[in-house]
Amino acid sequence: MEVGEPQKMLYPQDTTETEGAEVLAAVFSPLVRYDENKQPVEEAAESITTTDSKVWTIKLKSYTWHDGTPVKAEDYARAWNFAALQDNAMSSSYFFGRVDGYTDVHPGEGKTPTAKEMKGLKVVDDTTLEVTLSAPFSQFKTMLGYTAFYPLPASAIGSDGKLSPAYGEKPIGQGLFKLDKPYKKGTDPTIELSVYDKFPGKKPAGWTKLQFKVYTSSETAWNDLQAENLDIHDSLPATAISTAKQVLGDRYFDEPDASIGYIGVPLKYNKEFENVDVRKAISMAIDRKTISDTVFSGTRSPADDFINPAIPGYRQGACTACTYNPAEAKKLYESANGPKTIELGYNADGGHKEWIEAVANNLRANLGIEVTPKPFEKFQGILDALDAKEYKGLFRMGWSIDYPAAENYLTPIFGTGAIGTGSNYGGYSNKEFDELVAKGDQATDAAEGLKLYQQADDILIKELPYIPVYFYRSNFGHSTKVKNVKLNLLNQINWADVEKA
Amino acid sequence: MGRYVIRRLIQAIPVLIGATLLIFCIVFALPGDPVAALFGDKRPDAAVAEVLREQYHLNDPLLLQYWYYISGVLFRGDLGVNFAQVPVSEMLAGKFQVTLNLALTALVIEAVLGIGLGLWAALRRGKATDTFILASTLLLISVPTLVTGFVLQLVLGVQLKLWTGLDIFPVAGTFAGWRSYLLPGFVLAGVSVAYLTRLTRTSLVETLRADYIRTATAKGLSRRRVIGRHGLRNALIPLVTYLGADLGNLMGGAVITETIFNLQGIGNQLFTSVHLREQPVVVGIITILVLIYIVANLVVDLLYAVLDPRIRYE
Repeated sequence: MEVGEPQKMLYPQDTTETEGAEVLAAVFSPLVRYDENKQPVEEAAESITTTDSKVWTIKLKSYTWHDGTPVKAEDYARAWNFAALQDNAMSSSYFFGRVDGYTDVHPGEGKTPTAKEMKGLKVVDDTTLEVTLSAPFSQFKTMLGYTAFYPLPASAIGSDGKLSPAYGEKPIGQGLFKLDKPYKKGTDPTIELSVYDKFPGKKPAGWTKLQFKVYTSSETAWNDLQAENLDIHDSLPATAISTAKQVLGDRYFDEPDASIGYIGVPLKYNKEFENVDVRKAISMAIDRKTISDTVFSGTRSPADDFINPAIPGYRQGACTACTYNPAEAKKLYESANGPKTIELGYNADGGHKEWIEAVANNLRANLGIEVTPKPFEKFQGILDALDAKEYKGLFRMGWSIDYPAAENYLTPIFGTGAIGTGSNYGGYSNKEFDELVAKGDQATDAAEGLKLYQQADDILIKELPYIPVYFYRSNFGHSTKVKNVKLNLLNQINWADVEKA
Repeated sequence: MGRYVIRRLIQAIPVLIGATLLIFCIVFALPGDPVAALFGDKRPDAAVAEVLREQYHLNDPLLLQYWYYISGVLFRGDLGVNFAQVPVSEMLAGKFQVTLNLALTALVIEAVLGIGLGLWAALRRGKATDTFILASTLLLISVPTLVTGFVLQLVLGVQLKLWTGLDIFPVAGTFAGWRSYLLPGFVLAGVSVAYLTRLTRTSLVETLRADYIRTATAKGLSRRRVIGRHGLRNALIPLVTYLGADLGNLMGGAVITETIFNLQGIGNQLFTSVHLREQPVVVGIITILVLIYIVANLVVDLLYAVLDPRIRYE
C-alpha cells in the first residue's frame, strides 16, 4: 500500500493530515465507521445515545489493546483531555472545542489553563463514557470516526506528562493491525503491520500482513504499481490518469473525494466585491468543466454546491450561478459595475498556477477586464497579506473536511465565529446563516439537522461568499494481486474487505 | 605530511562555523511562518502555535537561536530535533547511508565509464568511435536528469519486468540491496560521466603530445606501457580533482534522482526541510556536506603527491 511520509510521529491526537491518519486508521478502531449510505455506525462503540444532542452516552464494546489489556472508558477520557490541553500543543485540539470545559484547558494564546481535564468528560464505569457538550451539536456522532477521537493507553504518556517517543514509533492501538516493529520516521522506507489476533471485529480473509511503502513521489509509486511491486495506490498522479484507465482497466477507480477548491472573496477587506452580482458574474464566467477536464485531466469535477458529493447533504446542480454562462455574466458584471482590474492570489508551492491562470483567462475573455494572477510563496503569505489589508484581490482556497458532515463545509469557513480563529479568511458574516447552522447543531435528529444545514447552504449559494470551482476526486488503483479494494468516507481503505486475487 | 593533514583539518573549523551561520541566516530569512506551514491550508490554533513557537525557540532573535543550536552541537553533540520531535542526528544517520551508497555507486560508474570511454576516444582520436563518443556525451549533457530518470525507470524498471518477468532494476526503494542503486546511480552519474569522458580525452590527448612520451616511445617501450605508465598517470591529475569535487556534488545534488527512485536520502530531506524551514535539519545536512567536501578535497590533494612525486606537502 502506498503512503506519503507521515508529517509527525504516529500520535493519534497530533495527526491531522491524511498520510499519518491512514496508518493510524489501520492501528486503531474508531468509535464509529461510515457505512455504504455514508452514515456513522457503531464500531468500537456498543451504542452512542443522546436525547438532547448535548449529553452523549458512549458505551464501549469489549476491545483489547495490542498488549492484551482491556480498553476502558478512561482510555478515551485520557486521550481527549490530553489532546485538548493547550500546553500539549496537539494539532487536533480544536476538535474538542465543543466539549464542555474546553475553554478551561484551552483558554487561548497567552493565557494559562485553569484545569487539566474537561468537566464535560465523565467516566461512568469501565465501559461507559458520558460526554457533555457546551451547546447541543447534532453531528457529534459523525465526528467520532476521526483520528483525534481514538483512545490512548496509559503507557503512551511518559512520566514527564508528554507522549513518549517510543509510543510515537510504535503506537499500541486497539484496531485490526498491530505494528511489527517501531517505525523510525524519516529513515524507514516501510511500515510493517500484521493482523492482531484478538481483534473482535471483522478480519481480512486469507492474508495477515500489511505493509505501507513510503513514497515521496506519487509518479514513482505509480510506476511501482505498474511493475506490480505495489498493490494499492490511492492517490494516482494527474499525469498518470489517462494511461491508468488503459493499463489498469477495471482495477482503476475514480470517486468523489470530500475536498473542495474555491476562489476566495475578501469581503471584509475589499468593498468592490460587496455587490453580490459581481460575485455571481465572476462565478458564471468560469468554465469549470473545461478546467476540470483539461487542466486537471479529469482528477477534479466541476463544483455545483458548497457541500461535496461525497458527503450526505450534497444536492446536484444546487449552485445555479456555478453554471458557465459567459453572456449573462458579462451583462451582470457591467450592470453591477464590477472592478475593472482583479488580482488572483495563489500559493505557488501547491500546483495551483495552471488552474488559476485558466480562471484568469476566463475572466479576461468573458468579462472584458484585466486580471493578474499573483503568486505567493506559501498559502500563509496570502493570509498574512489579507490580515495586513495589503492584499485586496481574490485568492485561491481549498478545504478538506475534518469529519464527514455537511456542517463541516459551513461553520469553519463561513461562520461569523470563524473569523480570526477558524478558517473564515474572507470575513463573511451573515446572521441568518449563523442562526440556521446553530439550529442545525441543536437538532436532536441528525436528518433534521441536515435539512437546516441545507437551508444555510442555500444562503451561501445565493450570496456566494466564496466561489466554488471544483471538487477533488480520488483516483486510485490496485494490482492484479488483490481485489475488493474500497475507500471509506475518510478516503481510507476498508482493510477487512480486501481479498487476495 | 601528518602536520599538513592536521593543519588542513584545523582550517576546516572556521569554514564550518561560517557555513553553518550563513545557512542559518538564509533559512531564517526565508519567508513564511514555519509553524503555520505545519497546518497546511488551515489556520493554526493560536494557542497551539504559540506553544510550538516557544518549544522551538522561534520567537527568539536569530543569534540566540543560532547559539542554542551551535552550543548543542559543540557541547552535547546534539543536532536538535525537527518539527516532528525526531532527533535530527538519528534521522540523518539513516538518510546519509542511503545517499552515500547512491553517491559512491554513481562515483564508481562515473570513474569506470568516464575514464574508460575517454581513454578509448583519445586513442581513436579523429576516427568514427571518437566522434560517436563525443556526440553521445553531448546528448547526455543536454538531456535533463529528470527525463533520463523517468525514461530509464519506465523502460528498465517497469517494462523490462513486465516483458521478461525478471526484476533486475527495481523501480523504487532500497529493498533489493545494491541492485537498487544501479539505475539511480547511473542516472545521477549521467552528466558527470559525460564531462569526465571529455576531460579524460582532452587531458590524455594533451599528455600524449608531450616530449617525454615521445622519448618513452623512442626508447622502445611498449605502447601499453607508454600510455599506461607515462601518459595516463600524468593525465590523471585533473581527473582526480574533478572526481573529488564531484563526490560532494553527487551527495548534494541527489534531490531529483532520490525523488524519482524514492530513495529516502538527504537530497530528498533537504528539499522537504527547506520547504518547512526546519533550521536544525537544513543546517545539519549542510554541515555534514561541508565536512565531506573538506575531506574529499584533502584526499584529492594527498593523491596528487602519489600521482606526481614532484608535488609534496610539508
